[in-house]
Amino acid sequence: MVRVGSPPDPPRPAAGVAWLLPAVFSLACSVAAVVMVDADVRVPLGVGLAVATVAVAAACAEASRRGRRIRGLRAQRDAAVAEQHSQRDAEAAALRRRLAAQEAALLQLTEEMLPKTILRLQQGESAREIVHELGGSPDISPEFAAAQRTVLRSVAEAVEAEEGMRDSAQRAFVNIARRVQAIVHQQATDLREMEERHGATPDVFGDLLRLDHGTALIGRLADSIAVLGGARPGRQWQNNVALYSVLRGAISRITDYPRVELASVAEVAVVGSSVEPLIHALAELLDNATRYSPPKTLVRVTASEVQSGVAIEIEDGGIGLAEEARRRVERLLEEASAGLDLTDLGESPRLGLAVVGRLAQQQGFRVSLRPSAYGGVRAILIVPTELLTSAPISVVTGAAPGLDALPAARTRTLSSGTTRGAASPKDDEPMERTPNGLPQRRRRTSAGPPRLASVPPSPRTPAGTGPATASAPAGQRGTDTADAPEPGLWLAAFQDAVSGESPGSGTADSRGQHPDSPPQNTPAKEGER
Amino acid sequence: MSGPRRLDWDEGSPERLYVLTGGRSGSTAREPLDLVTLIVSRSAPDPGLQPEHAAIVRMCEYPLSVAEISAYLALPASVVMVLLSDLLSQRRVEARPPIPAASLPDAVLLEAVMHGLRKL
Repeated sequence: MVRVGSPPDPPRPAAGVAWLLPAVFSLACSVAAVVMVDADVRVPLGVGLAVATVAVAAACAEASRRGRRIRGLRAQRDAAVAEQHSQRDAEAAALRRRLAAQEAALLQLTEEMLPKTILRLQQGESAREIVHELGGSPDISPEFAAAQRTVLRSVAEAVEAEEGMRDSAQRAFVNIARRVQAIVHQQATDLREMEERHGATPDVFGDLLRLDHGTALIGRLADSIAVLGGARPGRQWQNNVALYSVLRGAISRITDYPRVELASVAEVAVVGSSVEPLIHALAELLDNATRYSPPKTLVRVTASEVQSGVAIEIEDGGIGLAEEARRRVERLLEEASAGLDLTDLGESPRLGLAVVGRLAQQQGFRVSLRPSAYGGVRAILIVPTELLTSAPISVVTGAAPGLDALPAARTRTLSSGTTRGAASPKDDEPMERTPNGLPQRRRRTSAGPPRLASVPPSPRTPAGTGPATASAPAGQRGTDTADAPEPGLWLAAFQDAVSGESPGSGTADSRGQHPDSPPQNTPAKEGER
Repeated sequence: MSGPRRLDWDEGSPERLYVLTGGRSGSTAREPLDLVTLIVSRSAPDPGLQPEHAAIVRMCEYPLSVAEISAYLALPASVVMVLLSDLLSQRRVEARPPIPAASLPDAVLLEAVMHGLRKL
């Protein structure tokens, strides 16, 4: 009977026999009790104890069976849990991968696709084709890719609409500016005629000058708007214009023009296509200079030749710019060069600098602001060599055709009889003539004023003043490039003279040996001797 | 004085007249200038002069009237007068008022002298 409850589960012998211990113990106790008691109670006690022992054994067997069952179930459950865990880990990994892909896609959208889209939109492509071309990453779900495309498309369309509005606004600006320019130009022409007509009545003439000045200011404003709208400033000049005239043209367009002092100006001319942008940029710089300096101070303008072209310096006696403010302004100039939004424009000073920056970008001027020795600001604008040509010879003749011909002819006849002609040595020599028979002033003679040649060629000469009127511009154009001495030669001559190396007529020879002087200047030298 | 003008966008000079005169419209000289005042320069032009000033000094080596200067420079008379008053105040030119007709001897007297001389 002891063997009855033997464990049915051979793999767990220790656990299987454990339940026998209480049964065996109770059996032993029962046997001992039966042996020790009296004979008359032995039988009932034996029966009772046997029943009890069987019951204990049964209970133990049952408990053991249940324990095994519990263990089995627990193992089963553990296996299920482990399986569940591994499944969950796999799912999480997949989700993480997707998340990373989406994150990458989002980053690509913001950092790569959107800027590219906007750039291409600004270059004039349509929103639809850009969105069509830009494909998404293969890792992301179709829904996400679709959402990405939707975002891209709505952004692209919004930007396109914005660009379109900006374009049309700019076109409208430019259109209005052009109309104002046309009116201003017409009015300036009319005023000029009136100035000629009423030139002999100072009162009327003074009023006309004031009106003329006001008109020029309006014209400059219209030009600024046109430039900011992406167009060229107003007028086109077909002929080259002397730098001196360009500077005075710029001076004539600012409010405080009497305060500008024009000092030494290099004898060069600006090619026609760059005349108007240069005038306008200089006018804006001059306007800034006069606006931000005390009303009584002068603004000094000089133009000197440098290696890369001509440096025009505008110095004012204002309070100057702090280093930080100066950097900010220069940054403003550069930003304007990179492109500018009409909506960014605030007060008028920014308008001026933005215009300067835009023109500098278009024409290749270099603009910088430096502290001035007078305490104010020194604005330097460098006009590159490509935009310069030599100054037209005898521009005074262009301004007044009779000017050279008549007094020169008279002084020639006079110089024999009077002493007045001796005042200027050049009168003793015969006048040079251009192929057209026009008198030609020689440059850089000792008595001649150097800047005389800078007076602009001007068609304001009335018709019929002399036979020279019609042919004057043609003659000028024909000669100005051929005979123009190399810029800087006069300086070499000056230095030679100062150092006393080659006095008198030897100057020309020493100049010929100068390393910088090219050989094509021989005609000019001979003309000088 | 002004002929028919072309109204395209390429004519004239970028300078306006008020820049030449510094905004002044009339003569500020002590002696009044008019169109027939004769101008003669006192010296050769300096290199530092404004081109118009230099041109006037150069052309007035022999006396010229204001009207003539105005015509040669193609500038209105008022502008020339402003430029001249600058030159006058710098004593670079002299102004000679034209000889008034009244100060000339009477034509009858001159004729009498002429006849008298012939009879000699």
